[in-house]
Amino acid sequence: MNPQELLNQLKERFGEENIQEARVENKRLFFKVPYEKAHEVALFLKENGFDMPITMGGTDFPKKNVIEIFYGIWSSVHDFVVMMKFDISREEPKFKTFIEIWPGVHNFERETWELLGVEVEGHPRLKLLLLPDDWSFEEEGYPLRKDFNPSRYKRPWGDEE
Amino acid sequence: MSHDMHRYLTDPFQEITELGDGLFRLNIGPQHPISGQGRFLVITDGEIVYDIEVDIGYSHRGIEKILEYKNYVQAVVPLERMVMLDTSNILMGFVRAVEDLYGVEPPPRAKYIRTIINELNRISSHLYALGLFAESAGWNPAIFIWTTADREPILDLLEMITGARWSHSFFIPGGVRADLPRGIKERILNTMDYLEKRFEVYEDAWIYNETFRLRTEGVGVLPRDKAIEWGAAGPSLRASGVAYDTRKNEPYSAYPELDFKIVTHTAGDSYARGWVRFEEMKVSVDIIRQAIENMPEGPVKKTLPPRPVKQEALARAETGRGEINFYIYTEGRDKPYRVKISPASFRNFFVIEQLPKIQEIKLADVPPMIYSFDPWFLDADR
Repeated sequence: MNPQELLNQLKERFGEENIQEARVENKRLFFKVPYEKAHEVALFLKENGFDMPITMGGTDFPKKNVIEIFYGIWSSVHDFVVMMKFDISREEPKFKTFIEIWPGVHNFERETWELLGVEVEGHPRLKLLLLPDDWSFEEEGYPLRKDFNPSRYKRPWGDEE
Repeated sequence: MSHDMHRYLTDPFQEITELGDGLFRLNIGPQHPISGQGRFLVITDGEIVYDIEVDIGYSHRGIEKILEYKNYVQAVVPLERMVMLDTSNILMGFVRAVEDLYGVEPPPRAKYIRTIINELNRISSHLYALGLFAESAGWNPAIFIWTTADREPILDLLEMITGARWSHSFFIPGGVRADLPRGIKERILNTMDYLEKRFEVYEDAWIYNETFRLRTEGVGVLPRDKAIEWGAAGPSLRASGVAYDTRKNEPYSAYPELDFKIVTHTAGDSYARGWVRFEEMKVSVDIIRQAIENMPEGPVKKTLPPRPVKQEALARAETGRGEINFYIYTEGRDKPYRVKISPASFRNFFVIEQLPKIQEIKLADVPPMIYSFDPWFLDADR
């Protein structure tokens, strides 16, 4: 199977309107689904040999008022990568975990939780991974959000003017 | 959202804590000879490891955030701080992603120079990893000194080519900074001859030594299906029988024009992971010889066009520790809007955490098991 064939199968199964912004490249397939369909599509991908998560994260879009979550899954059978993306609301950022489908996304989802401030529902171990133990989300915020201001952090030895 | 979830341990820095039911929690790191810049919480049931928790993040520098404020050439410097041993391979993934965004293909000579530097870096990274692996298995401490000493000629070559021993900052989107200096080819070939002689010594002293095999075979077996499911990367994946190597599956630089094989092993144990690294060094020597022989003439860099032709790109590259991939989203400015880096060690640490759940691991086997994965905390922390 090549990326174009998978795209055709996805459109046939989930309908043309649910597979948006699809783009086929050499060994890549990018597409976006509505959040309600994301777990169904993920299960379909898993059943079709997309078994190894290689990347996962999110992008903050304050202007559009959404956070875009992406999952990059490689197939050990077909040898190409699928990037599945979906939008969640920025006011109430949460989505259900994909651990049952791809166990390897465990730490990626933890990282997205702490760096982007997205609640991952059903994740068994949401505790700080990369940030310091005394990090306060209320005061300092989420580092990968666009409204986070890194310039408030000074170098320990003082800043040059 | 509960923000107190991370306060999971009453006294996280106590060396040994009794948990009840015969379980003890052992705190290895961050100030421990085997830990590196991180911490392993090993929960033991007598001599058997009940659970391992890897605590990363001690050297988190927020490189993904820093990159949002740097243009694509400035980004080279902070990125290299991810793995100082293996800077050019780390950079290769980023450079590939940016070239994909801008639709630029580097000149052929630049591709060959990149291949040579990548492979030199890979050998130096593998030598360091194998030295630590031998040391962690309680093998003769001289091995680590041997491998460190044998890295020196490689670092000298890299210094001659790029001007720096580790953080070369030599690759830029569109090519490499400079051409090879005069007389370097003979010197590289001489070093390769020297390394091949040393590999024979390693084989006798250590890699094919019966005692070393007894110590590491059957330790921390990672089955093929679990390696894929948990997302193991690099030599750890290939030692479990998955023939995935980015240099072959998604060829970049001069790799499609060179003849080499993916090294795989089927056992999936600590010895297999070490063995795959060792055999990969031989493959790298072979690749460097071929690259020098077939090196074309011509320019070594191109300028990027003013605007990217795409909005997003996902590029993968093979580092010493495994695959690294970069997802870059841009809004057309000279700086990326979002860079997502997923390094190999980040994935391998998760595999280390899961291993005690599927088999019995003795406490004494924990150090060689960890070092057979060659984890690098700075890589995982970003």
